[in-house]
Amino acid sequence: MALDVLVASLVAGLLIGMVLALVALGLTIIFGVMDIVNFAHGEFLMVGMYTGLLVAQGARMEPLLTLPLAAMVGFVLGWLCYFLFVKFLLRGPMVAQLLGTFGLMLFLRNLALLFFGSEDRAIHHGLLVGKSISLGMGVSVPATKLAAAFLAVSAFAAVWLLINRTKVGKALQATALNAQGARYMGIPTDRMNGLAWGIGGATVTIAGALLVNFWAVNPYVGLLFTMLAFTIVALGGFGSVPGAFLAGLVVGLITEIPGIWDSLSLALDWRWMMDVPMTSFKYTWVYLAYFIIMLARPKGLFGWKR
Amino acid sequence: MEALRNALDFSDFPRTDLVVAAVVAAVLVAFPLMPYSSFAMATMIQFLMFSIYGMGWNTIGGYGGQVDLGKAQYVGIGAYTTAVMLIRWDVPFWVSMPVGMALAVGWSFVIGYPLFKLKGHYFAIATIATSLVIKDLFEVWDFVGAARGLHISPVKYPPPDFLRLIFKEDVYYYYFLLGFFFLGILIINWFRHSRLGFQLRAIRDNEDLARSLGINVHWAKIKTYALATAFVSAVGSFHAVYIKNIEPEDTMSLDISVLIALMAMLGGAGSLWGPIIGAGILIPLKSYLKEWLGAKAGLIGIDLILYAVIIMLVSAVEPKGIWGLLDRLRRAKRSR
Repeated sequence: MALDVLVASLVAGLLIGMVLALVALGLTIIFGVMDIVNFAHGEFLMVGMYTGLLVAQGARMEPLLTLPLAAMVGFVLGWLCYFLFVKFLLRGPMVAQLLGTFGLMLFLRNLALLFFGSEDRAIHHGLLVGKSISLGMGVSVPATKLAAAFLAVSAFAAVWLLINRTKVGKALQATALNAQGARYMGIPTDRMNGLAWGIGGATVTIAGALLVNFWAVNPYVGLLFTMLAFTIVALGGFGSVPGAFLAGLVVGLITEIPGIWDSLSLALDWRWMMDVPMTSFKYTWVYLAYFIIMLARPKGLFGWKR
Repeated sequence: MEALRNALDFSDFPRTDLVVAAVVAAVLVAFPLMPYSSFAMATMIQFLMFSIYGMGWNTIGGYGGQVDLGKAQYVGIGAYTTAVMLIRWDVPFWVSMPVGMALAVGWSFVIGYPLFKLKGHYFAIATIATSLVIKDLFEVWDFVGAARGLHISPVKYPPPDFLRLIFKEDVYYYYFLLGFFFLGILIINWFRHSRLGFQLRAIRDNEDLARSLGINVHWAKIKTYALATAFVSAVGSFHAVYIKNIEPEDTMSLDISVLIALMAMLGGAGSLWGPIIGAGILIPLKSYLKEWLGAKAGLIGIDLILYAVIIMLVSAVEPKGIWGLLDRLRRAKRSR
């Protein structure tokens, strides 16, 4: 009885973790290449969610087919943000960088509020909606989540290949390791920075277009994902791509622990457990995890820089 | 005695600055004597509140260079202490404010100790994380009203009530806060001249060098953080009796933390007048933009869009803020 709850939660945690890993990928790439923390990361995700939602609803299209478009929007957004704004932040002190990307976050959030209003919106159509796949042991998962996890992993793998197996990727890595040295070798570091922002934007908007299939979107959705992404990046090590993947899975599991607690307390009918409903602390554990990881091992599990 | 002399010593500012400061102070004192709308009064009170928040942030964020984006948790602790003590046990404001400050400062030691082992981005994000944990906790904690929050009923305590600081007219609040504002300037001025203040500036400029000079970097940061916390929590207590509706969302949200940091940043982090200049520009701008564009024209969020554009411009063009800009202009003039 209790076992299937546990398995179902673990599976759900892993599936959402795969999408979260993709969310964090862009953040860790941007940080790795130019040591800047993008507070607007969750807002990029929101842009991806709205792109997926509006295109799928406006064109009555299969929601999963909106991914290429979302990726394009994200790439252009990231690229523009870098060349129009972030480039100028890099000259300033860290305070200015933090508050600058914060400004970007407020800007995107309120632009969304102005255009789309504050209500929750979600996609309710598509091939996979309402279907679920049984995994045995009485555990079944919604098809949308399974597809999202699969596509997220594919996108993640594609970006990993891009970084590790292509010339552009090597140039990106060189910029991350030593920007000045890379410049001497004839690598246009400014364009590499722009590319990092483009890839960062594209990956996170893909994740957004995947998420919107089972997660309602509103202009304020970004902050939660920014914090989740920070935790993943901290756990995986700032700048580490494989670290981001494993840490994504871990954070996905962490978000499911409160659910396990609550279902177990119901299943076992243990009063003292029911007195502490953990689901309202769902993300508190993630913030705490960030805090503890940073104190225990500031470099993260797979940190390679500094 | 030494401390008092330091607090009153403004001699390192040029004379023109002091004249301008004196004129501004006179205008602030005289403001309620002139005809004013209640909207203008509310804006002025907001300005004073955020100047004091900003002064607090400035000690650790400006002089110390530690980007703290978790100040809202102390606003919340101050506000909730005052509200809970008033509603549950009928404790007057003058008692609950120091209690709130003590609680906030105590908490700041508890989390400051681990927090200040982190640096740079890591520190900034960790301050956000702690603030969000506190907010989550208050949103489910029934004793403090959970997500509904607390409401101080002015009917139950008929105004004017000087003991509990509950008034009908905003003028009283204004003068109370103005007194605190001047006191705050004196305290920050003392801090500037104090040993701690110099230590902190050394830490900002080069932490390793500061450590090699024998400064206990960790402890200096924690002490300053506690000072900043005391400022913020005191105004948080005031927020409780002034606003009378306290919810986790509008006392502890990240927006408040950012706003506090932003005031000081815009005016000029690490200068005595910075936070005041920043709040003096941003608060009226924010509330009038909201009034004209948001409420009247029905464009929700447009005030914050313009606001965000200002943040982005300041951080990209002049990260030292308006004070830095003035400084640069002055230097250019002198060298000409």
